[in-house]
Amino acid sequence: MPVDGGTSTTGATPEWRSAMVDVSGLSLAELAAAGAPAPDDDSVLAHCLRRLADDLARPGEPIAGFNSAL
Amino acid sequence: MGPTATLPVHRLSDPAFAALAAGRPAAATLGELRRSQLSKHLLLLRELVAAGEVPGYAALVAAERADPAGIRALLSRPLVGVWATRRLSALRTGAPAPEAPPDYLASLVSGTAGRRLTATHDGLSITVRIEDSDPLRAGLGLPPTPTLTAAELDRWQQLLTGAWRLLVAQLRPDAEVLATVLDCIVPVEPDPAARGISATSADAFGAVAMSEPADATALAVGLLHETQHSLLNAVQYLFDLHDRPDALGYSPWRDDPRPAAGILHGAYAYLTVTRFWRTRRADPLAAFEFARWRAAVLTAADGLLAGGTLTAAGARFVTALRAEVRSWLADDVPATVARLATGANADHHLRWRLRNHEVRPGDARLLADAWSQGRAAPRIGSRLRPAPRRALEASSRLDLIHATLRGGPAPAGTADGDLAYVQGDEAAALRAYRKRVVADPGDDTAWTGLALTAAGSALRDAPEVVAAVHRALGDPSVDPLALASWLSS
Repeated sequence: MPVDGGTSTTGATPEWRSAMVDVSGLSLAELAAAGAPAPDDDSVLAHCLRRLADDLARPGEPIAGFNSAL
Repeated sequence: MGPTATLPVHRLSDPAFAALAAGRPAAATLGELRRSQLSKHLLLLRELVAAGEVPGYAALVAAERADPAGIRALLSRPLVGVWATRRLSALRTGAPAPEAPPDYLASLVSGTAGRRLTATHDGLSITVRIEDSDPLRAGLGLPPTPTLTAAELDRWQQLLTGAWRLLVAQLRPDAEVLATVLDCIVPVEPDPAARGISATSADAFGAVAMSEPADATALAVGLLHETQHSLLNAVQYLFDLHDRPDALGYSPWRDDPRPAAGILHGAYAYLTVTRFWRTRRADPLAAFEFARWRAAVLTAADGLLAGGTLTAAGARFVTALRAEVRSWLADDVPATVARLATGANADHHLRWRLRNHEVRPGDARLLADAWSQGRAAPRIGSRLRPAPRRALEASSRLDLIHATLRGGPAPAGTADGDLAYVQGDEAAALRAYRKRVVADPGDDTAWTGLALTAAGSALRDAPEVVAAVHRALGDPSVDPLALASWLSS
């Protein structure tokens, strides 16, 4: 199971593994074909979607205010 | 078993993560971040479709069969992220729905490429869309301009041509990052309180909202700055960097208290701004910006690392960021410039404390009574209060420093104390600020000047306490320096 911001030191080079799945190679049809995860689903997709929902519930403010001129 | 059963997760090697944190991401890292943002858009779209009918979705699926790469490019656009995020939030939380046409997806597929700016220098090119018609462009947080006229578009093109020449010639690796990340510029109305304003949104990777910059240098610096925000937003989509992202603290770039997540954004954005000025530091004004911001980024990084609000990934990120800026500390700047830069940072911190730290009225009274009765000062501090609104940096002393380093005259109305301070006559500055404080104890600018030029820990560490006690005493015969000395003892 992925851990947000977790490190894996099992390989030759330590790496940072995200909880967010890589679906960039899937077509829209393939992605939509996956059913909705059950509430107790512990799959990477379910974990990822829960985090996505958390992010939606805590929207960040736009980063505005840089004065570019001196 | 379907294709989602064995989904990989996004990942970065530790060296790639550290290089990204240092503001030197490899091309492969940028590729991973871009893929992660496409993943995000696809997941949001999937959730929308799962929640109900999405107009235009069926046509989008059909179009993808015919042109997978073309549809992927459209779905990667920053404002698709704004649309999908806002629409899903509206469904789930009742937040306002995005101001987009109901058939947004259909219009995306059938729409034109729009107008573009391009620039090439020394074999490196950049192409940027001008996003000046999509109603979602207001989602970047600043009021967008109407669609640009041909003359306005031409000015933007000239500015980009100049900025690109500067960037490629001086910071080619940073220019390469910019060319990869920057998708579009959203022209916005100028802010009367700023000399040029820009913004990014976590929902719109690769989009920069910006008012028409003053010149090519301002555009170059603004694009570097905002691109860093986009990169950090993408990192934060993948990894939690903060255990307590909302913990308020000091940000060297803003006059209001900022959450830890905002302070990191500032540090990361100013990392490349500092790098830009580093390349031009033969010029006194650039040397000032370089010296000021390298110290400010270091201060912010140190504060974040000491604050205990970072996750393991956040600590790794900030440590690598700090190491990058720390490597620039050995770079020489002229002594006068170094003095002004150190002073500008101290000035900002003092002003920030006076503005944002409050002493309870009862505490100020306790201290005032102790002073009046000749007793030792009780140990009383102040507390940080949240600011009601965004506060951009504004300082007449900073304006004077910029004018002086440009070799120009002092701005009209410059105070005697400020002039003496910038010229290095701290004794004269101290006398002038002391006089102003006595004449008007409510003048925070004068208190800041006094704290900047006086010795003693109370004024330097907690000027708001000295000012609050002086005001509570209400006695113009009380010497603010004697009061500060009493509080320091």
